[in-house]
Amino acid sequence: MEFKQQVAIKVTVNGADIRAAVAPEESLLDFLRKQCGVTDVKCGCGMGECGTCTLVLAGKVVKSCLVLAAQADGREVWTLQGLERDPLAARLQDSFARHGAVQCGFCTPGMLIAARGFLQRSPQPTRAEIREALSGNLCRCTGYQKIVDAVWAVAYGDAAEQERA
Amino acid sequence: MTKYRYVAPATVDEGLEILRQGGGKVRIAAGCTNLLPDMRAKELADCVLMDISGLGELRGVDADGGSIRIGALTTIDEMLHSPLLEQEAVALWRACRQFADPLVRNRATVGGNLANGSPAADSAVPLLALDASATVASRAAGKREVPLCELWRGPYQTAIAADELITAITFPRDAARRSWFIKNGLRRAMAISLITVATAVKQDGCVVTGARVALGAVGPTPLRARRTEEYLQGRAIDAATLAEAAEIVRGEISPISDLRASKEYRTHLAGVLLRRALEAVRA
Repeated sequence: MEFKQQVAIKVTVNGADIRAAVAPEESLLDFLRKQCGVTDVKCGCGMGECGTCTLVLAGKVVKSCLVLAAQADGREVWTLQGLERDPLAARLQDSFARHGAVQCGFCTPGMLIAARGFLQRSPQPTRAEIREALSGNLCRCTGYQKIVDAVWAVAYGDAAEQERA
Repeated sequence: MTKYRYVAPATVDEGLEILRQGGGKVRIAAGCTNLLPDMRAKELADCVLMDISGLGELRGVDADGGSIRIGALTTIDEMLHSPLLEQEAVALWRACRQFADPLVRNRATVGGNLANGSPAADSAVPLLALDASATVASRAAGKREVPLCELWRGPYQTAIAADELITAITFPRDAARRSWFIKNGLRRAMAISLITVATAVKQDGCVVTGARVALGAVGPTPLRARRTEEYLQGRAIDAATLAEAAEIVRGEISPISDLRASKEYRTHLAGVLLRRALEAVRA
């Protein structure tokens, strides 16, 4: 078997087929930001702690700093900017804005991707479940309460939100 | 020029051949949740990254006769969504629920968690209590079964040779066994465990007829508390037994002080969590 110093990959990023050569150790995060210009995946810690680089790989919500770019070969990647027409992502974005669940905005793309993946699987969550689902995404501005409120409102509607308040 | 090289075998056999030829220079890349931070932090020496993430044959949870078999590439999230594990291996299922965070659970694999060799590995402790073994394969020796209690030699050191690969984890099915797992960390997500405790207990009425107790992050490797297990044999899990068992387990561990907690705190906590983990399985 051949040990490669460059790996040729073909990845579908936000619907576009991309062919590229990546270094063996290159993370999917670095590949997207540096070679694809997909900069809504943010690099916070680069060590899997903060979740700002969250995206959807082959249908799973993952932290892209913990994936080798080579491991995305033949797979589909969706980041927030590719989900513009996704109804659930749009409702979440709107809800985040209305609830003031955004301050500096650095964590927001990852937060939205994680929340979307969670609501797809658990459309009727408890607040504790929302907190657990977002526990891999750090936000150093909002204190999380408004983020949880925003996700809750998408699940149950603003009427439920007012009732709770 | 990069110092890493990359290879993705199409089959386990091909992977074993690469390990045989690699002479210790091959690092196995699966979920990469430890590997990528390691590469970033430590600048690993010149090595070949062998990406096994495409080997579907190493994935899945099955009941196989009298035992449960988990492929080494099975992710923590897949284990968490296995009704078989939720029903028959409660300790392991509970550990998966508290493992890292939901996003990391989508990538991290059980084989990687065990092979990494961390004394705080969260899947190691319940699997020790469930009396699990790792199936380890190599070109030279074929397959061998390594009981988990013999898998670790020290922090991040295992009994797995450089030409070997963990292919599966197995443990006996036992409807009469009740198991439990408790993790204590500094926050709920992404915290390295301060201490973990797992219990797996069989009882006749309220008398213990078989007990296994495992702990993590309280010694150089995940460990079994053999003296505590022996003490529990033949006793009812009552207040006196719990108090004595907590004392015994504190003498069986050798935690360190580090930035997360002191040795004294971990020692105290071991007894407290053991009591809770025994109360949880009490008939």
